[in-house]
Amino acid sequence: MKHVALMGLGLLLVGTVSGCDNATARGTGADKLVITGSSTVAPLVADMAKRFEQAHPGVRVDVQSGGSSRGIADARKGLAHVGMVSRSLKDDESDLYSFTIAIDGVCMIVHASNPIGSLTSRQVVEVYTGEITNWRQLGGPDRPITVVHKAQGRSTLELFLEHFSIHNERVKPSVVIGDNQQGIKTVSGNPYAIGYVSVGSAEYEATHGTPIKLLPMNGVEATVASVAAGSFPLCRQLNLVTPEPSSGLTQRFVDFAQSLAMHDLIAEHSFVPIVHE
Amino acid sequence: MLDATAQAGLVGPGALPRGRSLDAFVTTAVWLGAGLIVAVFFWIVGDVFVHGVGGLSWSFLIDSPTHAGRGGGIGPIIVSTGLILTVCMAVSVPLGVGAGAWLAEFCPSTSLLGASVRRSLDMLAGVPSIVFGLFGNAFFCVYLGMGFSILSGGLTLACMVLPILIRSVEQGFGSVPGEHRRSAAALGMTRARTLAHVLLPAATPGLMAGLVLGIGRAMAETAALIFTSGYVDRMPQSLADSGRAMSVHIYDLSMNVAGGEPNAYTTALVLVASLLVINGATSAIGQRWLCGRSRG
Repeated sequence: MKHVALMGLGLLLVGTVSGCDNATARGTGADKLVITGSSTVAPLVADMAKRFEQAHPGVRVDVQSGGSSRGIADARKGLAHVGMVSRSLKDDESDLYSFTIAIDGVCMIVHASNPIGSLTSRQVVEVYTGEITNWRQLGGPDRPITVVHKAQGRSTLELFLEHFSIHNERVKPSVVIGDNQQGIKTVSGNPYAIGYVSVGSAEYEATHGTPIKLLPMNGVEATVASVAAGSFPLCRQLNLVTPEPSSGLTQRFVDFAQSLAMHDLIAEHSFVPIVHE
Repeated sequence: MLDATAQAGLVGPGALPRGRSLDAFVTTAVWLGAGLIVAVFFWIVGDVFVHGVGGLSWSFLIDSPTHAGRGGGIGPIIVSTGLILTVCMAVSVPLGVGAGAWLAEFCPSTSLLGASVRRSLDMLAGVPSIVFGLFGNAFFCVYLGMGFSILSGGLTLACMVLPILIRSVEQGFGSVPGEHRRSAAALGMTRARTLAHVLLPAATPGLMAGLVLGIGRAMAETAALIFTSGYVDRMPQSLADSGRAMSVHIYDLSMNVAGGEPNAYTTALVLVASLLVINGATSAIGQRWLCGRSRG
């Protein structure tokens, strides 16, 4: 009995090994799409993929996470048909074609109990470069500031540094974090912390009882509405990228992701949909 | 000076109280240490239980996730986790027992090959799991063309678990007294029969310890799996499909999905519970097998 079971498992293994040599992205048939990249965009695109599969029976869309840089690398190497990138393409990435599916804002957050209501750009720069180290210097309590910063390679980090014109070497962080929710958790658990995260998820968490406060930027309220109105100063694009002008199934998926029918999903993920002509 | 103090401590008039207080201190420290370990365990399990039990239901265990995991259940994710673990164990247990037996029974203690195998295993056991993830992605997914698949994930985990397994099996064999081998030889048993009927049953506790540690490490693994078995939460049709493991699901819900926390906790509860069940079952099966073998 035991031997039969073992043999069965062995056969199963052999069968799959021999059957999966066509499993890499480019080698697959016309009915499978592999999408990799940004961990911020992945949950949204995975939901879009499910709807796409429902609308196109027989088609499979595999969404993999791993970060924007991975999305670009995989799209270039042909390991994925489509890459997900949570920022605009840089100059040296102009070999790829990008398709914007949504917009996301990035705002400063502090703990809900923090009396500070707003910070000027100059103050943010001084906090992050270590010139201001105590909340008292900003009119708050006599407590040291916990500066929450993002790890190298994160799109939010690049956007933040570019907006405030800071060099990363000048930043003196107390905590270095990775993902968005980790930033929100770090700040909500520390009354004297400051960080920067996606406006959408911060607003979602703040309205669901997480003790964080979104600070306005240049006098503009940090809300999904102001990002949608285009008045919020710190925004980023969420893009799908393809190595060649897309065609066939890739084109159908990109069109689907940019269509009006996706706007409810985008809003559900606290991002801002954009209208394509 | 030391001697004098020691003697004073032993025979002097103040000796008894000082000895007693030291004794009491050591006893307290030992109990405190043990108590702390148990407390931390119950704190973690209790926290996961309190936060997770509210979302637990039959449909949570069988439904597919919806809304990026905020809604629905984790049915396909449990299946994927089970398949990844099965692939991992199907590959690593035979290899681990074989390599462990070779190291303990067939390789002379002075052998250079044996020493280098042991040294490389110890180093491999300390390699961070993300390194295994990147290796698994480069080797299984890309070079061998398996793509993001349950098979790639299981094989990557097998590479990660093997060092622990081999070393525990080797130690299991090492703890069998030499008389067993000599008695078997005196009875005219061949080496293979001795191994299968005398040494292996006696080494089972070591194998089980390695297995429990290995399964624990495999079930808890996130970094090695996110690049190999992947992120797809569809019900897997075959081992060549990508499938999301429970640990990856928990990581994604708590790190990337706003409002994913409740389902992350419930998934964590399912993960901890299945770990306890699997570990219990492993020990039980090991015990039964051990009894059956040594009697037969």
